[in-house]
Amino acid sequence: MRNKNVVSLLILVLGTLGILALTHAQNAPEASEKGKEVYEQSCAHCHGTEGRGDGAAAENLLPQPRDFTRGLYKIRSTESGELPTDQDLFDIITEGMPGSSMPGWETALSANERWEVVAYIKTFHSGFKEREAPPREISLEGKIPFSEESVEIGKGLYTELGCVECHGNVGRGDGTSAPTLTDAWNFQTWPANLTQGWTYRGGSDTEDIFKRFIGGIAGSPMPAFEGDSFLHFGLTSEESKRLTELENMDEMTEADEEASNQFYEKMDEAVNIALNRVEGVELSAAEQQLYDNAMKVVYEKSWHLANYVKSLMPEERPEPAIGNNVLRSQYIQGELPTIDDAAWETSEARYFPLVGQIVVEPRQFNPTIDAVNVKSFYNDTEVVFLFIWDDRTYTTGDETDETTGKPLEDALAVQFPVKVPQGPTAPKPYFLGGGRLPVYLWHWKASAPEQVTELTAKGINAAEVQEVQADLQVKSTYTDGQYKLWVKRALKTEDKKDLQLESGVFVPIAFSAWDGSNGDIDTKRTITSWYTFVLEPVPSSRRFIYPPLIAILSFGLLVGLRAAVQRRNSVS
Amino acid sequence: MKTYLLASLAILLACCSIGTAFAADSDADVEMLVFPDSYTASSVSNGGTISGVVKFEGDMPEMKMLEITKDQAICGATEKYDEALVVGEGNALKNTIVYLIDISQGKDFDKATKLEMDQKGCQFTPHVQIVPVGVRLTMLNSDKVNHNVHIFSSINKPVNKQQTKNRRRMPLAAVKKAEGPVSVKCDIHGWMSAWIAYVPHPYFAVTNEKGEFTLEDVPAGTYKLGYWHEACGSNSESPVSITVEAGGTVTQDFALKLK
Ligand code: HEC
Ligand code: HEC
Repeated sequence: MRNKNVVSLLILVLGTLGILALTHAQNAPEASEKGKEVYEQSCAHCHGTEGRGDGAAAENLLPQPRDFTRGLYKIRSTESGELPTDQDLFDIITEGMPGSSMPGWETALSANERWEVVAYIKTFHSGFKEREAPPREISLEGKIPFSEESVEIGKGLYTELGCVECHGNVGRGDGTSAPTLTDAWNFQTWPANLTQGWTYRGGSDTEDIFKRFIGGIAGSPMPAFEGDSFLHFGLTSEESKRLTELENMDEMTEADEEASNQFYEKMDEAVNIALNRVEGVELSAAEQQLYDNAMKVVYEKSWHLANYVKSLMPEERPEPAIGNNVLRSQYIQGELPTIDDAAWETSEARYFPLVGQIVVEPRQFNPTIDAVNVKSFYNDTEVVFLFIWDDRTYTTGDETDETTGKPLEDALAVQFPVKVPQGPTAPKPYFLGGGRLPVYLWHWKASAPEQVTELTAKGINAAEVQEVQADLQVKSTYTDGQYKLWVKRALKTEDKKDLQLESGVFVPIAFSAWDGSNGDIDTKRTITSWYTFVLEPVPSSRRFIYPPLIAILSFGLLVGLRAAVQRRNSVS
Repeated sequence: MKTYLLASLAILLACCSIGTAFAADSDADVEMLVFPDSYTASSVSNGGTISGVVKFEGDMPEMKMLEITKDQAICGATEKYDEALVVGEGNALKNTIVYLIDISQGKDFDKATKLEMDQKGCQFTPHVQIVPVGVRLTMLNSDKVNHNVHIFSSINKPVNKQQTKNRRRMPLAAVKKAEGPVSVKCDIHGWMSAWIAYVPHPYFAVTNEKGEFTLEDVPAGTYKLGYWHEACGSNSESPVSITVEAGGTVTQDFALKLK
């Protein structure tokens, strides 16, 4: 992604200047009035006129808009402790920072304007002016291609280096240190969920990942893993193996002792040279050679680790469950699969992205749950759903919300209409005050993991527990930062307030999710728009397809939201 | 794609809203040490000594016990208390830096002392460490757990480096400029906290459990004597004036209140 940009930039530079400076990234011009103008128009309402990150819009945002005065930049191609290159700043302004409110400016500002603004934001921190030498960049030479073998080695390093402390066993950002992390400005922050490449601030190409853990993410708790962070820095792989053997011995002979001491001396020497280099001491040719050899081992390991991290995520963010990706419950004859049945592996989950609910107070501006993934099967009498979502913490109501006094806990709600709208012109189900029809709801809470409550709702704050509770079977698990919720229900029930299901009919479905540890409570939660699902007709039976309905529902939601914005704006 | 559109709309909405403010602990402005513009090291003969005791004044606050949230076997073996305020017998105040503010000439650093800060039982020792400019501090890891050494410098380059469980000794690059005290944290064990002061001359002392400090080999003259304490603040606005005679000893005690 980043590469593409560099290429198009180079084409631009080449085209306009005709200079063959292929290996050099561009530097920003001198700070100018123009840069200030761009900044004040496009950036200051978030980043503040003085660059302190305290613009008028900053209040609700997490992570907060960056305070430029401290010179802490997350996305750098430079070594730990260094400021970013101009090119880094240009790229991040161009692309924005996914998973935060920092927008990309590729279309809104010309390349020229972006360079001007780069020059201007540098004036907020004196370190840029004072730096004597160009920042040391992380070398991307010797990339090791992706392979299963490489991923396997990387997996070992992920534990050995302690990524697991914050990012968790399989990378979902649920490490044991995750709940207590704060950034350099004392705001709570979460480790990236490494399985969701699209939420990475600085891109999820293997090169991006490589640079992020070698250079660290300044301003965040994420440390740098420079050369000497790696086990036995300065030794070759064979020497390292031998030393490990020695270290694991119960008793050492004098010769063993001698051998291990030599290894330690060699390691000390390499560390000493690495520190000299950071301190700006000129290295002799021999020292440089020794350092390069040591780094070669480290860089190899780092590529393996980057390949492992890359292996944790799908190639792209999944498409939302509309059009070709609509959720189709598969018909099977006989027993429906239980929660841990291998049959679930045979069907691909559908992806329902969540966004923070920001129309009704209390709002959620900083959502932590990305999406709900859903699979489903049905037979002649029942339907079963498997809802899967990532949540970094398992919260069951031990803490309470300060304003309401209610327990904070993880939860999921699945919404259906009580009656399926017949055709595209039928009134749409209730949504945030937009629609007219009541909603049939399944509400699950982490504190009652084997129970789903049926509700009828006529407004976002007007849900009532149904008198008659259908016979729902429920199971759930929480493992490695992921919930799985399994719900089975009869296709037809006696209760008029329940949704009745029929094969081949497209049924609207929507979700709300609460992450207790993120302060989610009541309307402060994450929501999806309305989607549809269908019990996929058994082959040969008639088919009803309502794709337009989906489009209309999504459109209706957008209009509803927009109206809400206008309403609010006209009030204030 | 509509849903992504929606997400951006959500963000747009967020920007024009005036909702609730966050309750982040505002980083209570840390007071800084004051350093001389320049310092020349030379040999000092027949210097004087400044010593004294720092006490805590006011009601003795209760020691704050730290909540150990992980690696219980190693970190939670003994009860741990917040070291931001350690008051001993007779109200002795530990971990106060006492130093000469305006000295421009005096002895050189004692090059023989090893500069080490240990991570032991998931606590930094010492809690306040003086580090001369140009000298490497070695971080020790006596725990068999992963730590990350996070030093929040702003004049010097900030440091945040993983020290894995198998790394006993991790020397850190020397810094070029006087700065501090700067906060040191381990994000993996969020309760771990310490301070480092990068200093340009050797006339700095940190009080011990008895609240005592000593500055030796001070060339005769009149100086401003400063203090700094994490919870009690500093006197850099109105330092004490103190006169040292050749070969003599002067005493200066302090009584500090919570800031
Ligand atoms: C809607 C609010 C908003 C606007 C408008 C905005 N930013 Fe940001 N910006 C942010 C937030 C939030 C972050 C911090 C994201 C993070 O830390 O993960 C950020 C971070 C940055 C960073 C830090 C990148 C890094 O590597 O750490 C730069 C540079 C930046 N913004 C430049 C700009 C410029 C230039 C503009 C105007 C053209 C701009 N921003 C407009 C919200 C905004
Ligand atoms: C002390 C906790 C901690 C440790 C240890 C840690 N990380 Fe992180 N990591 C974080 C946090 C927090 C973030 C989110 C940074 C942000 O965007 O503010 C992050 C973000 C990331 C990202 C996403 C970068 C982006 O562009 O958004 C990657 C990739 C990553 N870490 C990889 C690793 C790897 C690999 C290791 C081990 C070598 C590791 N991390 C160790 C805390 C940690």
